[in-house]
Amino acid sequence: MKLAWPAPWITGLILPLTLGVAWELAVRHGMMSGRLMPPPSRLAASAWTLARSGDLAVHALATLGRVAIGFACGAVAGTMLGMLTGANVTARRLLDPSVQAVRAIPSIAWVPLFILWLGIFETSKLTLIGLGVFFPVYLGVLSAIQGVDRKLIEVGRVFGLSVMSIALRITWPAVLPSWIASLRTGLGLGFMFVVAAELMGASEGLGYLLLDGQQMGRADTILVAMIVFALLGKAADGLLVAVSRPLLCWQDTARTRL
Amino acid sequence: MTRLAIHQLGKTYADGTEALRDINIQADTGEIVAILGGSGCGKTTLLRLVAGLDQASSGTISVGGQVLTGTHPAISAVFQEPRLLPWLTTGANIAFGGGRLTARDRQARTTALLDRVGLAGYASRWPRELSGGQQQRVAIARALIGHPEILLLDEPFSALDPVTRASLHELLLDLWRDLRPTILMVTHDVEEAVVLADRIVVMRPKPGRVHDVLPVDVPRPSDKALPIFDLMKRRVTSAIDRSLADDRPPGLKSGSLWLSPWV
Repeated sequence: MKLAWPAPWITGLILPLTLGVAWELAVRHGMMSGRLMPPPSRLAASAWTLARSGDLAVHALATLGRVAIGFACGAVAGTMLGMLTGANVTARRLLDPSVQAVRAIPSIAWVPLFILWLGIFETSKLTLIGLGVFFPVYLGVLSAIQGVDRKLIEVGRVFGLSVMSIALRITWPAVLPSWIASLRTGLGLGFMFVVAAELMGASEGLGYLLLDGQQMGRADTILVAMIVFALLGKAADGLLVAVSRPLLCWQDTARTRL
Repeated sequence: MTRLAIHQLGKTYADGTEALRDINIQADTGEIVAILGGSGCGKTTLLRLVAGLDQASSGTISVGGQVLTGTHPAISAVFQEPRLLPWLTTGANIAFGGGRLTARDRQARTTALLDRVGLAGYASRWPRELSGGQQQRVAIARALIGHPEILLLDEPFSALDPVTRASLHELLLDLWRDLRPTILMVTHDVEEAVVLADRIVVMRPKPGRVHDVLPVDVPRPSDKALPIFDLMKRRVTSAIDRSLADDRPPGLKSGSLWLSPWV
């Protein structure tokens, strides 16, 4: 008799649960330091304390808000510029070399300049996150437009479609899978850059919680913030996949969906 | 009445390669003209020029006396690959070709054509769910939905197995009897040309030119067992061999062991 493999989400829990149990046992049996490596039971207690006081929600919402705004701005800018340079040779020749040169600058290197230009408050943080999201989305859209099958464009021409109709009815649907993949990459980078942004100097946010944990010597606070980051990042990516799934159900790929 | 007139058509690419020279072909309303020839004789280039996908370097193409300068609403095409849009369902792919129809006409014609090409009930299937032959049926329906006066076929059956190809020949002739478009088709298959065409234009390469024009005297529907069918095939094969004679390596001229790819 063939044994049924558990549901994918259960499969995904096997590794973290096993590690958690091993970690807990190792600390309880004195094999690891509970102060530097607080076990899952201590993390759960810290998370509960932070949640009950409302601090966790405040920090998580602040981080989520920054990621959402920065992601939206970076994704819109990356999509628009990618479409422009992908569709127009002159625009590509004019803009792409400069964009690629700016992309080569490590984004963290912008931090001092952003603080100088935009101040220590929200604008500089959102700009940094937006910058992190912008590049993968821009590159994804640009390369996807350049990679659209010429033969499909010819179908549109033979059937008398205007340039705009070809863009909307052929190019855009053809680009959609790469665009969504680039948005997912951009979202991941958005969560990466929000930490850098909140370390720049924030009074709330999960990045602030990390810094606070470090300054107070609370490894459990740091780990709780990291776990919340992981959960929020996974949830945001899952939401993006769920929203985009109906748009990509036509794909003829190995998985047929993302 | 001449529907499609190709006059002194020439095509030279930017790198100086001359693909076509002085092509003259006329096709009457409802006539099926097949273009045969060796590789590199410019068959597909010619079809692309008629479709308006490329610009000719010299000469003209006219439809009903009107000289073409690009794509034309009276001209439709079926390509070697089905080229269905993978994000559209089967029905939507067929409707895609009827952009000039009203929404109601488009819907009615889509339903009717799905039925005619044997895919009734497949309207909501994705292209990836169809076989190669079914996809090519959809491509034919898409090309015909807008009532084209001229249908261009660029080896549309070459990738299919013989049984599917034969059934699509029947389907094409069936649709042609109803709609009577002028058909200009490119093929590598002599038998296919004899089965489908009223006239066969044999082209020669380097640069592509018209070598011979052969009327097909085989009655439709073609009975392949008839001696005239075989005779016609031999005449076409012989014309193609003669068209390639100049390209053969020295020592393989007429009478030597040249293995014709057409038989």
